Amino acid sequence: MALIIDSISKRFGDVQALDNVSLEIEPGEVFGFLGANGAGKTTAMRIVLDILRPDSGTIAWNGRLNTEVSRDIWGYLPEERGLYAKMNVLEQLVFFAKLHGVKPRKAERETRDWLERFRIPEYADKRAEELSKGNQQKIQFIAAILHDPQVLLMDEPFTGLDPVNAALLKEAFQEMKDRGKTLVFSTHQMETVEELCQSIAILDRGRVVVGGTVRDVRRSTGRQVVRLAVEGDSQIDWLGSLDGVCVTRRGQDYTEAEVSPGQDPGSVLQAALARGCKIRQFEIADPSLEQIFIEHVGQLDLSERTLAPRTVNA
Amino acid sequence: MNGWRTLFPNAWYITVREFRSRARSRSFIAGTVILAAIAFAATQVPVLIDFAMGASQTHLEVVVRAAGTPADLQVELTGTLNGQNATSDHQPFVVSWLAGGDLAAAQQALEQGKFDALLIVDRDPASQNLAFTLRTDLAADGQVVSTIDNAATLLALDDGLARAGTSIGAVEATAFTVVPVNASSGPANSTSQEVSTNLLSTGLIVLIFMAIITYGTWVAMSVAEEKGSRVMELMLNATTPLQMLAGKVIGNGAAGLTQYGIILAAVVGGLLAQGPIHQAVLGGASSGGPFGGLDPIVLVAFAVLFVLGFLFYSLLYAALGSLVSRQEDVQSATSPLMMLIFVGYFMSIFGLQSMDDTWVKVASFVPFFSPYLMLARVAMGHVALWEFALAVVFLLVGIAAALVAAARIYSAGVLLYGQRVGLRQVLKAARVSR
Repeated sequence: MALIIDSISKRFGDVQALDNVSLEIEPGEVFGFLGANGAGKTTAMRIVLDILRPDSGTIAWNGRLNTEVSRDIWGYLPEERGLYAKMNVLEQLVFFAKLHGVKPRKAERETRDWLERFRIPEYADKRAEELSKGNQQKIQFIAAILHDPQVLLMDEPFTGLDPVNAALLKEAFQEMKDRGKTLVFSTHQMETVEELCQSIAILDRGRVVVGGTVRDVRRSTGRQVVRLAVEGDSQIDWLGSLDGVCVTRRGQDYTEAEVSPGQDPGSVLQAALARGCKIRQFEIADPSLEQIFIEHVGQLDLSERTLAPRTVNA
Repeated sequence: MNGWRTLFPNAWYITVREFRSRARSRSFIAGTVILAAIAFAATQVPVLIDFAMGASQTHLEVVVRAAGTPADLQVELTGTLNGQNATSDHQPFVVSWLAGGDLAAAQQALEQGKFDALLIVDRDPASQNLAFTLRTDLAADGQVVSTIDNAATLLALDDGLARAGTSIGAVEATAFTVVPVNASSGPANSTSQEVSTNLLSTGLIVLIFMAIITYGTWVAMSVAEEKGSRVMELMLNATTPLQMLAGKVIGNGAAGLTQYGIILAAVVGGLLAQGPIHQAVLGGASSGGPFGGLDPIVLVAFAVLFVLGFLFYSLLYAALGSLVSRQEDVQSATSPLMMLIFVGYFMSIFGLQSMDDTWVKVASFVPFFSPYLMLARVAMGHVALWEFALAVVFLLVGIAAALVAAARIYSAGVLLYGQRVGLRQVLKAARVSR
C-alpha cells in the first residue's frame, strides 16, 4: 500500500534522463524530491502521471499499475505553470474540476473556500493574466486539489513565492496531509524539505543517489556536525588540527565542523576544555540536508545539467 | 488508446470552453462585425454601380400630333429605346402614350415632374418627314437624350421608307446576307450558362478554401497556445489527448463556422435586400435574381463537403499545431499543409476547364482534394450520385485516419516542448507515448 516506483529508466535521445530509479513512498507521507536542475525530477513525475511512458520499469499505486488507475487519484502541479490567461479564475478552476468529474456547483463552492483561505477571494472573477505570479501559483495549487486527489505531485511548488505566500502554501500542505493525502514535491529549498518532509530522495543525473527518511539520510554519512562557540576566539583555529575533524564554516556566531565517522564528537568538547576555553555554545547535530546534497551532487545550481527536453521560453 | 470509450463528457467540456473563449475574444467579435459589414456592403455594389451609371428609369411621355404615323409606333419606340440594352432585364425607359395629344396638359405634368421627358411627334409640313421635339431637364448631351435621339432617327427613317413603299427589313434583306460566323456553335446561350456555372463553382470552392485556411489555422493556434501557456500538462493529467483533440477541433471549428455563418448570412441578407434597396434608392427593379444559378443539389453537396473537408483538415492542423510551442511558429509548422491546400485549390480552379480529364476524376476522390474537386464536378454537373457518395466515403475514411494519426502526433507532440520537432522525432515519440 504505497506509491512504488520500480526501476524506471527513460532516455531522451543521447540523454539518460532516468536510470533505474526505484522509490517507495508511503501513503500519507510528505516526500521531497531533491536534485539539481535537470536531474530527472520532472521526468519522474510525468512518468508517475503516465504522461510519459518509461523505457522500462513500472509504477504502482496501492498495488495497481499507474496505467490502470483512474487519473483522478492524481493531483498535479506542473513545473511549467500555466493557466488560461484570458479565462477568469473561477471559471477555469471549475473547468479543470469538471474534467475530473467534480460537479460544477461543488467545484465552485470549494474554489471560493480555497480562494478565501489563500486570501484572494476577490480574484474569483479576474482573468488569470491579471494576477501576480505568486497568486497564479496559488490558483494552480487549487486546480491540483479540487478533485480531492489521493496523491499530490507538485513540481517546484515554492519557487517564486514570497515568505507570506510560502507560509500559506505550507499550511495548505499540512491540511492535505491531515486529510490523509500523500504529497510528493520537488524543490531546491532544503529548509522547506527539512521542515515538511518525512522522506526524501536526492536525484543526480537520473539516478537516486540517496533516499529514505530525512533522519536516515542525514545520518547516512556517519559523520556528525559540531557547532562550537567560545569566548574571545571567533576563529577557533585549533579546531581544524584535531584528528578527524574538518571545519566546514567559520562565523561570528559559531564555528561548524564535521566529525568523521567513528570519532566521538564529545572529543571536540574535551579538547576545548583542555585548552581552557570558556564555552558559549556546543552542539552536536546531524549534517544538514544541504551538506548531504552538496556532498552527493556538488554545488547546488552551479551548473544546469539539462537532461529532459526543456523550454526555450521559460 | 483507451480514450475512445471515454470521449465524453470531457470532450464536450473542452469544446464548450474552446468555443466560449474564442467567441468571447475581442478579435473574434471585431472580426465578425467588420467582415459581415464588408460582406453586406459588397453585395450592394451592383446597386451602387447602377446608381453611379445613372441607370435609373426615364419616364418618357409621348404626344403624337403627326398624322399617318405607324400604328405600332409606341411598341416600336419602346422596343428601340429599351432594346439597346438587351443584355440585362433592366428597362431603362418607361414609355407612356398620351392619346389625343393634349399638349398643354402634358406640358403641365412635365413641369410638375410626373415624368422626365416629353417627346412630341410632328410631321414636317414641307418634307412630310417626322419631326421630333424633346422637352426635358435632362442634359442635352447625356446618354438618355442621345438614346432617344437615336430611336427617333430610326423611327423617322422607318416612316420615310414606309412612305416610299418599302421597309427596313426589306432593305436589309436586299442589302445584307447574315451568315453565322461559327456554324458549328451550339445554342447561343450555352456558353454563357457554362460561364456562370463556372463562376458559381469557383465561388463555392473559394468559400471552402477560405474556411479551411482561416479556421484550420485557428485550431492550430489554439493547440500551440495551450502548449505555450503550459496548461497542457494540467490538461494531460485531466484528460486524454483524444478528448483534447476532439474538443479543440470541434470547439474552434464551431466558432469559425459561427463567424462564417454570420458573414454568409450578411451576404444572403444583402443579396435579398438588393431589390428593396435598389427600389428605394433608384426607384426601379434590380437586375436579375440573386440566386438564379444555385442548384439545391449543389448546395447540399457544398454543405456536406464543407463540413467533412473542414473536419479533415482541422485534425491535421491540430496535429501540426502540437509540434510547436509558440504561436509564432504555427505558420511555419503548418506550411506543408498550406501547400497541400493550395495544390487542391489550384487543381480545382484549373480543373474547371477540363472537368472530364482523368486526372481530375481521380483526384476528386482523394480526401485532400475532394472537398474542392468533387464540389467543382458536382457544380458543373459532371458527376454521378455514386461518385459523389464514394468521395464522401473516402473522405470519412480519411477523417478516421486523420483522427488516429492526429491523436498520436498530438499526444507525442504536446510534450515535446520548446523545440521545433521533425516528423521522425514525432513518429518515434508517438511510438513510446500513449
